[in-house]
Amino acid sequence: FFLSLFKPLFKVQLKSVKDVVCASAPDLQRLTGLSNSDVQQLITAAAAVCRRHPPITAQQLQHGVSGAQLRLGCPVLDRLLRGGLPVGGITELAGESGTGKTQVGLQLSLSVQYPAEHGGLGAGALYVCTEDSFPIKRLHQLIGEQVCLRSDVPADLVSSLRFSDHVYIEHTADLDSLLVCLTRRARLLLTRGLVRLIVVDSVAALFRTEFQADDWLERNRQLLTFSSMLHHLSQEFSTPVLCINQVTDVFSQSHNSMGPSLSTVSPALGLAWANQVMVRLMMSRLQGTVVRGDQSSALRRLEVVFAPHLARDGQNAAVWREGLRGVESWTSNRK
Amino acid sequence: MQRPVSSLPLSQAVRLKLGSAGFQLTADLLDFKPDKLSKETGLSEEEAVEVLKAVKGGGGGGGSGDISASLTALELLQKEEELRSIVTFSSQLDECLGGGIPVGKITEVCGVPGIGKTQLCLQLAVDVQVPQCFGGVEGQVMFIDTVGSFLLQRVTDIAAAAVRHCSLLAEDDEQRAAMETFTVETILSNIFLVRCHDYVELLAELHLLPDFLSQHPKIRLLVIDSVAFPFRLLFDELSQRTHLLNGVGQQLITMAINHNIAVVITNQMTTRIRDGQSHIVPALGECWGHAPTIRLLLQWEGSRRLATIFKSPCHVETMVQYQITPEGFRDADQSEMAHSKRPRMDTDQSAAEPKDTSS
Repeated sequence: FFLSLFKPLFKVQLKSVKDVVCASAPDLQRLTGLSNSDVQQLITAAAAVCRRHPPITAQQLQHGVSGAQLRLGCPVLDRLLRGGLPVGGITELAGESGTGKTQVGLQLSLSVQYPAEHGGLGAGALYVCTEDSFPIKRLHQLIGEQVCLRSDVPADLVSSLRFSDHVYIEHTADLDSLLVCLTRRARLLLTRGLVRLIVVDSVAALFRTEFQADDWLERNRQLLTFSSMLHHLSQEFSTPVLCINQVTDVFSQSHNSMGPSLSTVSPALGLAWANQVMVRLMMSRLQGTVVRGDQSSALRRLEVVFAPHLARDGQNAAVWREGLRGVESWTSNRK
Repeated sequence: MQRPVSSLPLSQAVRLKLGSAGFQLTADLLDFKPDKLSKETGLSEEEAVEVLKAVKGGGGGGGSGDISASLTALELLQKEEELRSIVTFSSQLDECLGGGIPVGKITEVCGVPGIGKTQLCLQLAVDVQVPQCFGGVEGQVMFIDTVGSFLLQRVTDIAAAAVRHCSLLAEDDEQRAAMETFTVETILSNIFLVRCHDYVELLAELHLLPDFLSQHPKIRLLVIDSVAFPFRLLFDELSQRTHLLNGVGQQLITMAINHNIAVVITNQMTTRIRDGQSHIVPALGECWGHAPTIRLLLQWEGSRRLATIFKSPCHVETMVQYQITPEGFRDADQSEMAHSKRPRMDTDQSAAEPKDTSS
């Protein structure tokens, strides 16, 4: 039976299963001259090949792996995120410069290395820098203070982890080299299980300098290509992706219909980028400082702007030697 | 289309001959000319013509698979009224929609990221399962997730809140008995989930869906969140995209009618420059706008969330305010709303403690 199907297929341009699935039944009939029921069987067979998994129930999902999360390492902030970053999909962290976004990236690059029972994913991180050079000194300081930050983990386990060996650093100055990095190095590291977190610091830098204002169509295309690549890697390897973004000023409230227009800044790259993001977080600096022992830190706030599983909420935080920690003595304001 | 040949009004001998030649369903017979059919089956020419007439005659009237040739408008109206709508748990929105999301039609939900499209979809996936004695549809749901936003934590929240709400409303024995089977576990077991990673997988899934729906006749809702996400990558081949989307639209409406399901799809927003001004409009182009019967636009106004019905053959363009709470998609919090028990026939609505965690 199948032999009789294949002959007409070779005659026409249908080379791949994808072509069959994308064509409509009447088109296929016209092209191949097969009967209606034969065409239906062909489409069904092709579709079955394309399908990765048959449908499962949400109940069965409970027992699967996809519900894993990546903890930040601070119980207060992890509570805000209801466990941590989700493993599939892009998480964005936007904010003005100096608010501590890179701190979060570094902290996650370490927390990912813990085993699953301590909120990690048991692998390293790929950290892609697009503007400044990687803050290696700060990373070493954070590594040194991990025992202090992660008091929930047995100290001998923390000391046994070779943190700096598993943070893979890339510097890419432009979009093309970033895409190459993602297709080759990222894919390799993920396939080998060496990495289960990708941090891009920052995305805005890539797209702002390269294009003029009227090139926005081309810019959107590049943005879509880049974000879809990240999204696919994230889904395929159950790997959280953190994209650090800058902010732009909002001048006209009526045009900022993308949010409840309560702040004067908005994440850069507009609606086209926002459509690709699953979890959007924002960091801002507040007035005031927090003092703890011999350290003092400017007060920050980590906000959930949107997420499928999180309420719009925020948590005050401070940056210490050991990293970013939520500050509980101030009651968090619910907006 | 799925009618077995044995149900056609033909003589026993003819049916036997068709069966032994391998024709099980009427769909198999559609493309045959009488001479070819008679050669295949050993029927005489006149018998073959008769068979084809019976097949064509039974399939008329919009291909609905009914035995009668066509329905009058009155019959259609009665059929529509029998179909219940799926409540959204926002009584204002349900009222504007005339009960809720209609079965047998395509409803599109558009809005900017974070406005609540996925929340509404998850809410509907739970609401479709509300038992009939509470005024619900008591059906299952097929959820196609192309974005990865189907997170179990949130679904569990919404399911638990719905169960709490219904158990507070249970008045008589029938309702209390129904609550035995309306639990978070059973709600999760009635949601069929498929994750599609690109548009080819989505198209493949849609091709396989009619069979799946036939095997699971209790499914009353199909959600695709979102249709826009995988298709917007085809920015270089817009004509192919339009062609594929037309096919998708047709497949969806066929499934909605043939299998008696409500289809809910979410769409993104995009910027369009018109007269030097930039506007935010639904994505996927003008042609796609014709596919859904009803289009709901969710948007921000200041710190309020508004839902507007901006395309519908039977509703006036109305705007209502809603909010997203830990319990799910709800009416906006106007004043303290007490628990209220509604009679069974009315649409189910939420009068539960509205905790305002959204703006």
